Amino acid sequence: MVIASYLFYAWWDWRFLGLIAMSTLVDFMVAKRLQSTNSKKTRKFLLLISVVFNLGLLGFFKYFNFFIESWVDAWSNLGVSMQTSTLDIILPVGISFYTFQTLSYTIDVYRRKMVATNNLIQFTAFVSFFPQLVAGPIERASHLLPQFKVKRIFDSQFALSGFYLIIWGLFKKVVIADNCAFFVNQIFDSPGGYSSLELFMGAVLFAFQIYGDFSGYSDIAIGVARLFGFSLMTNFAFPYFARDIAEFWRRWHISLSTWFRDYVYIPLGGSRGTSWERLRNVMIVFLVSGFWHGANWTFIIWGGIHGVLFLPLLLTKTNRTHVLSTRMTYHHLPKILLTFLVVTIAWVFFRADTVGIAYNYLSDLFQFQDFSFKLFTKNSKMTLFSLIILFSVAVMLFFEFWAVQKDEREVVLSKYSAILISILIIFMGVFKNPSDFIYFQF
Amino acid sequence: MKPFLKNVGIIVLITVALSALLSTTSLWSLRQSNFYKPSFLANSITEDSFDYIILGASTGLTTLNTNVIDSIVGTVGLNLAMDDTSLATQYVMLEHFIALGKSTTYCILAPSNTSYDVINNRLSNNDYRFLPYVQNEYVYQHYSQYAIREAKLLQYSKFMPMLGVAYYNSEVFYPSINALLYPEKRNRFDERGNYTYPGKNAENSPIVSKDTFEVDFSNPYMKAIKSLCDKQGIQLICYLTPMKEKSVKIINNDYLVLNHSDSLSNTRYFFDGIHVNSTGRVASSLLFAEQFIKLKNLPFGE
Repeated sequence: MVIASYLFYAWWDWRFLGLIAMSTLVDFMVAKRLQSTNSKKTRKFLLLISVVFNLGLLGFFKYFNFFIESWVDAWSNLGVSMQTSTLDIILPVGISFYTFQTLSYTIDVYRRKMVATNNLIQFTAFVSFFPQLVAGPIERASHLLPQFKVKRIFDSQFALSGFYLIIWGLFKKVVIADNCAFFVNQIFDSPGGYSSLELFMGAVLFAFQIYGDFSGYSDIAIGVARLFGFSLMTNFAFPYFARDIAEFWRRWHISLSTWFRDYVYIPLGGSRGTSWERLRNVMIVFLVSGFWHGANWTFIIWGGIHGVLFLPLLLTKTNRTHVLSTRMTYHHLPKILLTFLVVTIAWVFFRADTVGIAYNYLSDLFQFQDFSFKLFTKNSKMTLFSLIILFSVAVMLFFEFWAVQKDEREVVLSKYSAILISILIIFMGVFKNPSDFIYFQF
Repeated sequence: MKPFLKNVGIIVLITVALSALLSTTSLWSLRQSNFYKPSFLANSITEDSFDYIILGASTGLTTLNTNVIDSIVGTVGLNLAMDDTSLATQYVMLEHFIALGKSTTYCILAPSNTSYDVINNRLSNNDYRFLPYVQNEYVYQHYSQYAIREAKLLQYSKFMPMLGVAYYNSEVFYPSINALLYPEKRNRFDERGNYTYPGKNAENSPIVSKDTFEVDFSNPYMKAIKSLCDKQGIQLICYLTPMKEKSVKIINNDYLVLNHSDSLSNTRYFFDGIHVNSTGRVASSLLFAEQFIKLKNLPFGE
């Protein structure tokens, strides 16, 4: 598994294998030392090494240029011009995912929530496990690492569920996300040329694109892992059926949101303390979560918007209203639509290249002046793509709705629905100009 | 593992079988239609012999209007040019024309002017339009000469049609559904294969000077097309289409050439740098007709 995972990563760029290897070695050794010492001071120091090393890697490769540019911008706003140069840094694929994964391991060992492993091969396999190496789910050592220690016996039903999940993930990526990308790229490349309605549709389509793209990848990763007998955590649980923002975050990128909950929110005090402290903790988590996605103010604002939307629920103690009740009735529809709407508006900041572009995009959208729909019916090709998107999104929502009603955490296909979805992939998928997975850039 | 393999096997087999059926039906539907030029030639064109045919890319498609030429010269012509294609594709079109049992006196070759000297021909963006005829050896051979993935998918569609149909689903599969419903529909060309770019608000200003570039007809497909024409008793005429900012100097006398690259000297004739608009098409067709009359009365090559 280690060889397969390293080959998989080397296929993209072998030069960055050293980074994963270093991250693995440092955390393996730190955890072993943490296990063997009881000195609080030493343990804190060891944890600090792991945190500084992992966040240092992330900081350098992902945020170095952002900090330099923001520093220069801040001074220039004060009238001081500075001459600096940024570095031409390639962002290693998956660095945000595997650094968080190894970091959670050392923190758990530090908290004595788990015992450090003595087996370097198993730990290396845990860090570099190829199905989820480049875009998650961000696994916890307590869940994934023990699976490398036990002998796996092939379970046909489990593997078959993985196979179905791969088909479903491919459908979401190749059919929904890549077809949506056709319009989304056009609209976001020059938003000034489109009507309010087209801009609104651009945001809605991006909502489906990013969901299809990222949850599609997660499903494929989970499915591939199952073929090898490994269980990965659920990463998406039908987020667009959420009835409020709190529920949305219990359904969207679950492995990241729970990571921030366990390693940032709770250490900050969580929901204990005064109202002010709770609000502060929530805002910090959302802002950091936004920043995790990329070195751009757009992501920070995106996180901030979600934080602001979350606060009223926290203050009125309604943020856990929809924890247990998962089944939907038509009474829930207005709430679902409203949640989807605000999430969609926030996506504009996520997708736009700069805050200024996002601001202009939303300004034009909310002018409600032009309701032209021409882009989607401009010619036969555009009409065709529009129909494909409409149909495929309807298919996806249909399957997801039934999964939600059955209280399932993933879409469970039957043999015949798997055949149907496969045929839809073949004849509706984008194979000629496919888009890269969006989350590879994070 | 057995139940897993059995289930996966059943799903894969049924999916492949249904996809093959759909793909084969899709290609059949296109073959019965007039949607793309290759099937338009087979289904819509009843004549077997022509005075001339036009082969070429978007330049040939939009510069020469056979209706104008025929009304002046009194000929029967057909425009078989397809946009975004290379000389290699135009060679296949000639083979397709001959394979359908049709004949012509003249073959007017009108690719983009730079194509004449392309040494390494590549799969053209619209070569999938021959996919319904992949069972024909000349189409299969055309695809098999290229190493790129798209060409391989088209080539192996001979054995597994879903490869090409799925890859080019928006260009092949969906038009084939349309073709089932409307078999007479043509994809942006008239009943003689002509098409024009709109006469958009072109400026009306004289073009004073043009840069010149040389054409040597070094593309290996020139010899192949000439050889095929000679074998069929067809006279090949290389037509150099009007250009806005450039003109062509011929440095090879092996071919009969009508060089109209410098014939239009006002921007109002042009859609862009290498394509004329509807006004330019009329002017070009008239000029061509005038020269064609002269050519027809002269022994070949003079």
